[in-house]
Amino acid sequence: MQTANHSSDPKRADKITRYKPPAQGTPGAPGEDPTTDYMNVLGMIFSMCGLMMRLKWCAWVALYCSCISFANARVNDDTKQMLSSFMLSISAVVMSYLQNPQPMTPPWSNI
Amino acid sequence: MRVLVLVLVVAAAVSVSGRAQDYEDNDFAEFEVFDEEEEVMEDDDDQGSEEPSPRDENDEFSHFHDEEEFIGFDSERPQGARMPKTQEEPKITIANVPLHLRSNWDSFYLEMLMIAGLVVYFINFIVGKSKNQKLANAWFTSHKNLLEQNFALVGDDGKQVPESGGLQKESENVYTLWCSGRTNMEGMLVELKFIKRQDMIGVVSQLIRPSSDQLLVKVHLDEMDSFVFALATKKTAARLSKEMTDISTFCPEKKSADKFGFGSQYVLMNELGEVASTVLGDPKVTAVLNKFSGMVDFLHFSDQYSGPKQPEDTQPTKLPEVRRALVFGFNFPGRGNPSLEAIESMRPLLQLVFHGKAKAEKNRSRVEEAFLKATHAARAEMAQAKREERKRMEREKMLEVSTVVGGMHGGMVCILLSYRSILQ
Repeated sequence: MQTANHSSDPKRADKITRYKPPAQGTPGAPGEDPTTDYMNVLGMIFSMCGLMMRLKWCAWVALYCSCISFANARVNDDTKQMLSSFMLSISAVVMSYLQNPQPMTPPWSNI
Repeated sequence: MRVLVLVLVVAAAVSVSGRAQDYEDNDFAEFEVFDEEEEVMEDDDDQGSEEPSPRDENDEFSHFHDEEEFIGFDSERPQGARMPKTQEEPKITIANVPLHLRSNWDSFYLEMLMIAGLVVYFINFIVGKSKNQKLANAWFTSHKNLLEQNFALVGDDGKQVPESGGLQKESENVYTLWCSGRTNMEGMLVELKFIKRQDMIGVVSQLIRPSSDQLLVKVHLDEMDSFVFALATKKTAARLSKEMTDISTFCPEKKSADKFGFGSQYVLMNELGEVASTVLGDPKVTAVLNKFSGMVDFLHFSDQYSGPKQPEDTQPTKLPEVRRALVFGFNFPGRGNPSLEAIESMRPLLQLVFHGKAKAEKNRSRVEEAFLKATHAARAEMAQAKREERKRMEREKMLEVSTVVGGMHGGMVCILLSYRSILQ
């Protein structure tokens, strides 16, 4: 760099190329993280389990999954998906407590 | 919940009172069924009729507490005629209400745990997020001058006319910076990959397996000699040779970098032996590498850079797009807890990037033609092989089609011939 600086200014204003962000989903793209998608799917599965099988802990786990997915999301990710995953998991929790207002029994207590 | 418990308690009380009936059956004479009435009446005669029937039917127990109800009850009862089984209050046994039916907040301990966990998670999210932001800003302010000396454009926000030069946030732990407008290069992408401080899972996994914040610099060159070269720490080398298309294709074997004066921590992967000696033979490079040995994660120079391999299930239809690139991976010092001074001290590393770039330009003249030709031949051979493969596939397809078509054609000819023979 020193040598380049001495000989001439390395800056070339006419050589500016604009940044082309790589397509989403390509491995190696900056900020690409599969955790969000995995957690989204997991959250969906757990909320379904919580709703259908009335397992409270499933609904709670789904809520956690959507939190993790939210924390790992890209800035320009789809917010609708995030919102729907949150809604689904929260509704799973609410529904399970409306149906049966007893406290949760941990999954290991039945064994 | 409360209502349910109340109902249960009332039910229990009713059953208890039913038992009380057994002890003193005349109390509830009026409630007895009709066949038993005569009997009951006789009983009443025995005892004397000083017991009036309960006045209020709803208030079942009020007569127990009404003193007038029992005036002379004990004294007028004939001795021995009927032993008062229970003079004292009838023993009330409270039915065992299952634990979970009690509306006690203590029994919701798991729910409380869950909510507390969520709260902690969100606090951690906010704290981690702001910490990452702070680190990114610290890095940018300390390197801004150097970047502006070298590039006409620092920071690209993707708008028509770039306005806010600076870091672009990709996610809460990844920031990018695009620099362009410099001799011999198309641009440079700086990627700050922090630990996932915003995610508690990331924080916990950090405790188990510590990693550090990373700085990735990708320089896209205009032109460059044909070679693939990588110097990396052992762990990263394994990952690179597995993931990167160019390294796994052109230089899968790992050599130790001992002869260049580095410790055993670095592994060398290069296509041409010349390149290593040219790049690492430079005293400036070795000086920086030795000084910041903990910080340099890998150097990866390649004219066939195409990023990590595509997942295997997607069959590549064409050769991946390659570009000439220098990739530098640096670790932030301080093992996941970098201080601002430490970030400041990383500046020579970026200078190394520029130096490396100048070096790469010079390499062109140094690397011998013969080597180049050899590799060109090898590469051409590979491309040829791939092309052949594709051609063969196409030919097979064509053959399949042509046999079908040919079969149809033959049939037509047969028909025509037979027609002709009939006509003749």
